[in-house]
Amino acid sequence: MNPISQSADLVTALLMGLAGAGHCLMMCGGIASAMGINTKPYHVWLYNLGRVSSYMIIGALVGGAIGFFAPEGGYTTVILRWLAVIFLLLLGLYFTGWFAGLVYLEKAASPVWRKVQPFAAQLRNKPGIFATFFAGTLWGWLPCGMVYSALSWAALSGSASGGALTMAAFGLGTLPAMVAAGHFSQFLHNFLRAQGVRTAMGVLLIIYALWSLLTLLKPFFQ
Amino acid sequence: MECFHCLQPVPRGVNLSVEYKGSEKTVCCAGCQAVAETIIEHRLHAYYEHRDVSQLQETPVLPDELNDLNLYDHPDLQKEFVRHEGDGTEVATLTIENITCGACGWLIERELMRLKGIHKAIVNVTSRRLQVSWSPEELKLSNILRALAGIGYKALPFQANEAEQQYTRQRKSYIRRLGVAGIATMQVMMIAFGLYFGVVSDLSPDLQRFLWGVSLVFATPVILYSAQPFYAGALRAIQASRLNMDIPVSIALLGAYSASVYATITNTGEVYFESISMFTFFLLTGRFLELLAKERALKFATNRLTLLPKLASRETAEGVESIAIKQLNVGDIIRVKAGETIPADGELLNPQAQVDESLLTGESLPRSKKLGDAIIAGSINQHSPIRVKVTAIAQQTVLAGIISMQDSALAVKPRAQQVIDKIAGYFIAGILIIAVITFFSWWWIQPEHALWVTLAVLVATCPCALSLAAPTALTGIIHRLNRDGILLKGADVLESVKQLDKVCLDKTGTLTEGQFRLVERQDSIDPKTVDHIVSGLELFSEHPLSVPLSQLSDTPAKFTHVSNEMGAGLQGELDGEVYRVGSERFIQQWHPEFKALNKYQVIVASKKQVLAQFRVEDQIRDGAAETIEWLKENGYQPIILSGDSEPRVHELAKELGISEYHSGLKPEEKLAFVTEQQQLDHTVWMVGDGINDSPVLAKADLSMTFSKASDLAQTAADVVLMSESLNQIKVVIESALKTRKVMQQNFTWALVYNVSILPVAAIGMVAPWAAALGMSLSSLLVIGNSLRLYRK
Repeated sequence: MNPISQSADLVTALLMGLAGAGHCLMMCGGIASAMGINTKPYHVWLYNLGRVSSYMIIGALVGGAIGFFAPEGGYTTVILRWLAVIFLLLLGLYFTGWFAGLVYLEKAASPVWRKVQPFAAQLRNKPGIFATFFAGTLWGWLPCGMVYSALSWAALSGSASGGALTMAAFGLGTLPAMVAAGHFSQFLHNFLRAQGVRTAMGVLLIIYALWSLLTLLKPFFQ
Repeated sequence: MECFHCLQPVPRGVNLSVEYKGSEKTVCCAGCQAVAETIIEHRLHAYYEHRDVSQLQETPVLPDELNDLNLYDHPDLQKEFVRHEGDGTEVATLTIENITCGACGWLIERELMRLKGIHKAIVNVTSRRLQVSWSPEELKLSNILRALAGIGYKALPFQANEAEQQYTRQRKSYIRRLGVAGIATMQVMMIAFGLYFGVVSDLSPDLQRFLWGVSLVFATPVILYSAQPFYAGALRAIQASRLNMDIPVSIALLGAYSASVYATITNTGEVYFESISMFTFFLLTGRFLELLAKERALKFATNRLTLLPKLASRETAEGVESIAIKQLNVGDIIRVKAGETIPADGELLNPQAQVDESLLTGESLPRSKKLGDAIIAGSINQHSPIRVKVTAIAQQTVLAGIISMQDSALAVKPRAQQVIDKIAGYFIAGILIIAVITFFSWWWIQPEHALWVTLAVLVATCPCALSLAAPTALTGIIHRLNRDGILLKGADVLESVKQLDKVCLDKTGTLTEGQFRLVERQDSIDPKTVDHIVSGLELFSEHPLSVPLSQLSDTPAKFTHVSNEMGAGLQGELDGEVYRVGSERFIQQWHPEFKALNKYQVIVASKKQVLAQFRVEDQIRDGAAETIEWLKENGYQPIILSGDSEPRVHELAKELGISEYHSGLKPEEKLAFVTEQQQLDHTVWMVGDGINDSPVLAKADLSMTFSKASDLAQTAADVVLMSESLNQIKVVIESALKTRKVMQQNFTWALVYNVSILPVAAIGMVAPWAAALGMSLSSLLVIGNSLRLYRK
């Protein structure tokens, strides 16, 4: 994989995280601001760091698995690229509320979460640096359509390190919304969570997905 | 013969005059005489030399009002509109209703400066406002008001409402943004001209780069500061899941700016700083002009929100006294006439009453109330005079109600505008989709041009002209009509004028002046006794016929159990006997065999006998004949709808040449007539003034009333005519037709331009600077076209 393409994928993952601010606030805003109350600021960071670490582990697993099992080069990259673009499109449609295909994926993953959840609840209330960090890592396994879309881009890297890096970029994009959730003014909260704003973000992702699609198609015509 | 001061005809028999420059000048009444004498005595005659004599001067000086002015000194009332300055002076803004020209402003300023304790008096003739500051130790506000009344001006304290203050703040911020954008744009344009047209030939790459850098420095504040309103508008629209033109504008501005910055830093491609600066400047100019026009319209409308120390009639041991609502106490008993606004919350003491609570509930049908029911402040008493026991003093409620009524009238968008908003929404969606397609297509073929062509499409097709088409024309007509003394409460006039074919007019107070004089009388008993009875009963009526009759006696009888049958007459009890004053039909309910003499229309009777009959006459209103003539010539059918008796309506119809008239109509029959016409697909306008006209005013496709009409009629009407001439109907129709035409031209132009520039821009034939220029010229054309409405 060439470096330009790799960094473009990282930017895409970052954008996905940023565009999801409204979605994140809707889904996890409660958890994030519950954490923000009565704790020191660095606890919030630790908690989120835990979450992003989990993303990176998942990314490394997926990227590593692809690198290990899938045959090198040729069709693998092309198929993965199509898959990634389709997931990006699905995420856009999911944000706009026009098509909720990703919800099925979230549902499929929820049995895992049901096993993890009791620990997460216990840990969240425990004091201490490690407990907080660990609670954050469990939060990272929460079923989330955004994470699965990002994973499709992590798979593209075809290596454990590349997958982890992609997911780190994605996690970085989600940080502003989650870390600052408790500190955002009510206005910003309302703004980011408004359906219109999520639709606009969705449309941007869809346009980006379509553009990526064109990039994939172009070589066939030249 | 015209009155020297007010320019209105001097009634026959009046023999009053003032001495002006050595000669005797005739005046029409004691009020005008007093005013003219004051002006001359104070050596302010220049007023008479410079004033605009094409407009009549109203002289509303009434002894009662002079007394009431003391109420304005009440600290509670003053709290709402008087501002205390640091140096111990007080400042207030007053609305002066009857300013007609610059000379009035001069006269007022001069007269006030004569008073001891006045610091400043500044008159704004356009908005009809006076800003005055004074020392409270030396002068009272009531003295100022009295001085104004002395020279014939009625001034009322006024409090700018929230919306207006907001407009002022917005205007100031727009001026700053425009200033920044203007200055920066000029610099950037100059550099751009140099770069484009090779003024500096053999431009070295270093110099070019330097010039790009300078452009960047100038364009940055334009994009980051001046253009902020567009970003805010776009974000608000996105939040509300709507599309507005701020969205493509913001995308174009920020996109072009980012790309130009990138180009400057990397020294590749092209920069378009001049295009975006120009674009911002022209867009801001358009917005600013729109804001100014709106502010002006609003200012005029809010002038009506004067803080009148609304009076209440309170019952005391000696009789009824007029006091300020502020001074009411819980437990007081107040009287409210038909058509008046109820000043405080209370409990009904009459067996029944009809009140209109639409101000508070939005429910347009009057509600029936029984003895003991709660009456809400701000609602309007409909039929009979009522007595109310005050349970809560809610001055705020009344004011808030009136303000909310005004606000809602201003906020209601005309149907045309709603349609435009919808079209603009689709239009913008279309533009955005086309922009995306354009980008993809160019990216496929020639990726290096994709961004610039897309930006050109966004800029060129910016539907600014489209979105300016209606508001600028609307503010144009509002301004134009305001100047002629016509207050437009909504923009329905533009919709209905297209199909207008029937104009219904009330007789009394509309086609005629509504000021009745007693012409003849026929008494069956002692006239003194009749006067005593009639004046006592007529005091409870607001019908114009009752005015001369209620003044017949200095000692009116004190009636009890008075009820008002709308359109028929009054009934009341005096010393155990029941009397009626009213129409022939009303009296015939008691005396079926009774026939009134020809043209006698007010009859007084007890249950036993008919006591007297009166003939009260009314003059035809100024301009009535020409207006009717004009209506007929232009294909509008005038129809009289009157509650008056057949012979009198017939006579007037014949005199004015109106072929269709309906007499003896009750309010519900007027309403039924208009409804029927509407069902037959006619578009009906109604002009009326009385309480009994208010239902039909609300029902008609468009309704007009006069500023002296009852509260209820003014609430129901769409158009309030400030002057007393019927010619204003013609002005309204002509202005509305002209505005429609301008609006259509605007639309046609905006659509044709946008639709035709789109394909040209999409195939990359329009450079961004040309797109910005085209868009701006297109908008300016629309604004310029609308500005024609401001001219006479």
